[in-house]
Amino acid sequence: MNWRQFLTPVKSIDTNQARDYLAEKRVEDVTILDVRQPAEYEAGHIPGAVLAPLPELTDYLPRIDPTKPVMVY
Amino acid sequence: MAAQLLSGQGFNNIINVAGGFNAWTSEAAFLAEEKGLALFDGVTSVENALAVAYSLEAGLKDFYDSMAVKVDSDPARQLFHQLSQIEVKHQDRILEQYTELTGKPVTRDTFEARQVPEVLEGGLTTEEYANLLMPAYDTVQDIIELAMSIEAQALDLYLRASEKAKNEAGKKALIQIANEEKAHLARLGRLMEETLT
Repeated sequence: MNWRQFLTPVKSIDTNQARDYLAEKRVEDVTILDVRQPAEYEAGHIPGAVLAPLPELTDYLPRIDPTKPVMVY
Repeated sequence: MAAQLLSGQGFNNIINVAGGFNAWTSEAAFLAEEKGLALFDGVTSVENALAVAYSLEAGLKDFYDSMAVKVDSDPARQLFHQLSQIEVKHQDRILEQYTELTGKPVTRDTFEARQVPEVLEGGLTTEEYANLLMPAYDTVQDIIELAMSIEAQALDLYLRASEKAKNEAGKKALIQIANEEKAHLARLGRLMEETLT
């Protein structure tokens, strides 16, 4: 069985492309989601990123606007 | 994995950052999600959001002014003065924003009277900044780097505050200020490139 058929394609970009992408956007036009643990977020994160640790990610979903692009790391 | 999870939940514009934060080399913000937000606790009104922002800009201006006195080299001193002047412009912009949003005129005195002492943009005192960044202010490049990390921190604080704002106009005002910090950061980035070439 090919598992890939169940996975929705997700765009992946490198950090330089991410920086350029964010530079062109207004802050309210993209959600930056940091899915690491709180201690990692505290030690350093992309400015403007919202903390949503992976284990609790589904709890955070209602707060995220699905009409906006979501940048995840 | 997170990106896959999201795409299965009705989010159809997901961008995964390959390499994650470990590969991120641009300015970073630090501190926990709630840090600095106590300042904005009462963001129940647009007035409140703007008054706090105004005092944060004032704190940063004072910081740059005090650095200008400390440094030995002329170019470094000039740059700190320049950064301080940019903060004054930013304060003017906040006053304009107040009038745009509320229809009421406002003078510097009104906001000066509401100063939050000792606190910089980002919700830290000058000393906390110095300890966290351990900056060397020897070269113009060091100073631009310091200013960029402060602006990144400020952008982050304003956005985190906007997420928590209880008042819609206050939230909008904070987002607008965050966008100005972003433009300010881009200007510093260009200044850095000019300095390096």
